Amino acid sequence: MTDSPADRVARYVDDLLHGRRPRRFSASSEEVEAMTAAAGMASGRVGADLPSKAALDRIHGRLAAAMDESPALDRHVTRRVLLRTLGTAAAAMVIGVGLDEVATRQGKAPAGTGGGGGQTVLMPDSGAWRPVASVTQLPAGHAMTVSTGAVDAVIVNDGGNIHAVSGICTHLGCRLQPDVTVRKLDCPCHQTAFSWSGKVLYYRLQSAPANLPKIPARVNNGQVEIYTV
Amino acid sequence: MVALTDLRIVPNPEPDDLSGTETAFYPDWESVYEDNVVGIYQLVFRKVGNAADAEDLAAEVLMQTLKTLRLPAPVHNVRAYLVKTARTVLADHWRNHYAAKDAAAELQQVPPDALTAPRNSAASERAERLLALLPDQSRRILELRFLRGYSVREAANELGVTESNARVLQFRALRKAAELELEVLT
Repeated sequence: MTDSPADRVARYVDDLLHGRRPRRFSASSEEVEAMTAAAGMASGRVGADLPSKAALDRIHGRLAAAMDESPALDRHVTRRVLLRTLGTAAAAMVIGVGLDEVATRQGKAPAGTGGGGGQTVLMPDSGAWRPVASVTQLPAGHAMTVSTGAVDAVIVNDGGNIHAVSGICTHLGCRLQPDVTVRKLDCPCHQTAFSWSGKVLYYRLQSAPANLPKIPARVNNGQVEIYTV
Repeated sequence: MVALTDLRIVPNPEPDDLSGTETAFYPDWESVYEDNVVGIYQLVFRKVGNAADAEDLAAEVLMQTLKTLRLPAPVHNVRAYLVKTARTVLADHWRNHYAAKDAAAELQQVPPDALTAPRNSAASERAERLLALLPDQSRRILELRFLRGYSVREAANELGVTESNARVLQFRALRKAAELELEVLT
């Protein structure tokens, strides 16, 4: 029995609807037209086009592997830089930041220019854990600004893992505003944005500002606490 | 302790932030990755409709970009470059796996600002708008298949046609949807 275009496209649609990688075949331009429309329809199902965490991790892993094979790329990006992004996700598995983590700067940018590189940890000389919000105020996928008077922070619930970063832009000190839909922190003053982990996402400045300092955070008795003065 | 006399009034700062800089910059690859990986995945998903291919193609787009990009670079340039790369990677995908010579026409529908448009301008809205524009029977078959997850057999029963007719109906409805998308929604 020979397949008609309608049969082949129907099989393609079946594969899409079952979440399978579609079988490959030699398609006419009419079939391709129908197939691209089918792909658009399939991605129209709510949430279908959002990548899973596992998919993102695999994409990340592939890029990191490519780094290893291409030492020539080192000028632009290093495996260390890529792994740090993965590291961020891994670090978020642990609530907060270890208190023994020292405030170090590993940036490769020249001193004073800020930009990229490491992330300091705000570790006051005589700090204490202070409650800043109830965990119920911070559902997964949310971020909120809090203030202890001494420190403005953004506390983040990233898929159940709670952490905190400084809530003040490292450029000129404007208060950052969490954007929940795209999971970033916007500086209202100069088109600059940080990821929820405090990394500079983009900036509209002569040089990149520093990443946001991390602030130790934990959950204790239903309260989100940050370590501060 | 700093003596009071050591403190000086700092003159109004130069507006260093904007002088000579019209746009926002990505400082490094990590930022490009974090800011765009989801957008790229969604962009390619909408063109291939399945997670396995979307994952491969998103990785490919990022990989190719990574090889050529010089950073820091303006955000809009990087995003435009990512979109351009995505088009090429998608065209290769259709050519390599479906022998499609002219997937380019369909791919032109990836707007150059695909990554700057709000992410939630959802594919679902677009699909709904398309469905609303289709003739009755075309809309029915696509709704049954894509929104309600009916098999061809179930859809055929519901519409009172043979399975073979349902497949033809579906094929024609999808082609009509593709045409409409090109004409009306772009």
